[in-house]
Amino acid sequence: MVSCKAVANGTTQPRRADTDDKRKLIDSVDCFIFDCDGVIWRGDSVIDGVPETLDMLRAMGKRLVFVTNNSTKSRAGYLGKFTGLGLNVNAEEIYSSSYAAAAYLESIDFKKKVYVIGESGILEELDLKGIQHLGGPEDAEKVVALKKGEYMEHDEDVGAVVVGFDRHINYYKIQYATLCIRENPGCLFIATNRDAVTHLTDAQEWAGNGSMVGAIAGSTKREPITVGKPAEFMLDNIAKTFGLKRQQICMVGDRLDTDILFGKNGGLTTCLVLSGVTDEETLLSPENSVHPDYYMSQLSELLAVKEAAKVAA
Amino acid sequence: MLQLLQDYDCWVFDLDGTIWRGNEVIEGVLEALELLRKLGKKVLFMTNNSMKSRGSYLDKCLQDDIYCSSYSAAAYLDSIGFDRSKKAYVVGERGIMQELAAVGIESFGGPDDNEKRASFSSEMLHDTQVGAVVCGVDPNLSYYKVQYASMCLLLNPGCLFIATNTDARGHFTPNLEWAGAGATVGAIKGVVERDPIVTGKPSPFLMQDIAAKHNVQPAKSIMVGDRLDTDILWGLNTGMATLLVMTGVTDEQLLVAQRGSSNGVKPHFVMDSFGDLRRVAQQALQQQK
Repeated sequence: MVSCKAVANGTTQPRRADTDDKRKLIDSVDCFIFDCDGVIWRGDSVIDGVPETLDMLRAMGKRLVFVTNNSTKSRAGYLGKFTGLGLNVNAEEIYSSSYAAAAYLESIDFKKKVYVIGESGILEELDLKGIQHLGGPEDAEKVVALKKGEYMEHDEDVGAVVVGFDRHINYYKIQYATLCIRENPGCLFIATNRDAVTHLTDAQEWAGNGSMVGAIAGSTKREPITVGKPAEFMLDNIAKTFGLKRQQICMVGDRLDTDILFGKNGGLTTCLVLSGVTDEETLLSPENSVHPDYYMSQLSELLAVKEAAKVAA
Repeated sequence: MLQLLQDYDCWVFDLDGTIWRGNEVIEGVLEALELLRKLGKKVLFMTNNSMKSRGSYLDKCLQDDIYCSSYSAAAYLDSIGFDRSKKAYVVGERGIMQELAAVGIESFGGPDDNEKRASFSSEMLHDTQVGAVVCGVDPNLSYYKVQYASMCLLLNPGCLFIATNTDARGHFTPNLEWAGAGATVGAIKGVVERDPIVTGKPSPFLMQDIAAKHNVQPAKSIMVGDRLDTDILWGLNTGMATLLVMTGVTDEQLLVAQRGSSNGVKPHFVMDSFGDLRRVAQQALQQQK
């Protein structure tokens, strides 16, 4: 069933990487971009063999970047998670969608205020870029009564609404954001990401930022600018910051519709790991048209290259 | 204007932005309605506001038949023979639950879930007997409700996704427009990645119900409303004449833009306010005598 013949749309079937493929892959790129959930860790546990694999790649001179669509923490917040799991990483190597939102606003020389739907990660990143903000967690308990005479004022200096994952989404926030977008001329509508579901716990899937963004899209009839995967912005920012060309980069992820699509759209080499949400059956199913260049069970399979090198020596 | 009175026997009115704004009736409208009734016209009301049931509108001095979107959702489920051994999960106000009960459909959720919060430290369960999620505007929308509705839609085979309407905004208070059912639907759609069945305007569904009950012919009927994408579109979808009033959400700029666009929604007639019909209706009444 697994073969390399070309399918009707002209692409080949995904290839399970053997040791040769892995060596070729590592040699052909200068930078690896990793999705986090399902690649580096699962929930709060690091996936086995990952620390050694990252160390090996660094020793081989590879640039490592970590991207996550989860906007609840800032880069500094994620750094805490990495080091807590025994992973050697620098804050500048972490691209959270919270950081991406702030970086996007910086890239367009944004000078107004931001209304935030989301958690503290976005606020911290905006602070680091010197961008004024309102909303976020302080609006979590606000209630709207909709009785006669009820009115809502909004700040006319809000020039952007940033919507990130928010476990405390409520009607007050939705209405405030809607007023800004509708009434403030030129107000931007920015989404950190639009993942339909997120894996907050192992037990089940949870509604993702796709729902917070969906609420605002539904109340304004406008589509947002998305800064997280699979939109190109993060990749452009990474390539620019580290002075890399697309051909020099490999994207490693566990999700076809965000990670792999992100990589393919960006002209990167792509590698799917089966340690997260996608299983082999889904990958190889005729309904799936997103084909990574390679796939493997988990990231630590790359260690086989080291083993092979030892044997050869 | 006189011609309108002659040509159309059945007048269907939107409520928010056409008859009233929040709790304040628009000037001259009640008199105009009374004159229509005196001229022997059939007067019906159709609103996308899903917050109340039909019964509760009667205390706003509307004597005639009111079709609200909460009713449309219940009527739709009834019309497809919804399995009464199943339940509906409601994300919206009490009106939807009342209308569902009126057709014998058990529902839960709605305002009873306002204080519920998702706990991420334990598994969230859901009722496998939910056969439909029904949404309307929800001033108490929460992560819990979105998650619960999404679980029903994603995990219960054949679970229907019903929207009373997808209006972006509504005049729920007289001096401000508030996020409408479009926000509720958008939130759930963002998770389940499918579109709901919309039962209120501009879906033509309710026309069958109205036509049957009131023996109404679309060709001799006119829809009066303030919104191009719901009221006027509904009228166009059901073969009625359409009259846009400027007392609600549509302003001159939007109207001009729609007229200029090749697939814009274009009303047959436009009036500043339905109240303006008073004088003409009075004239017509004199002529009748």
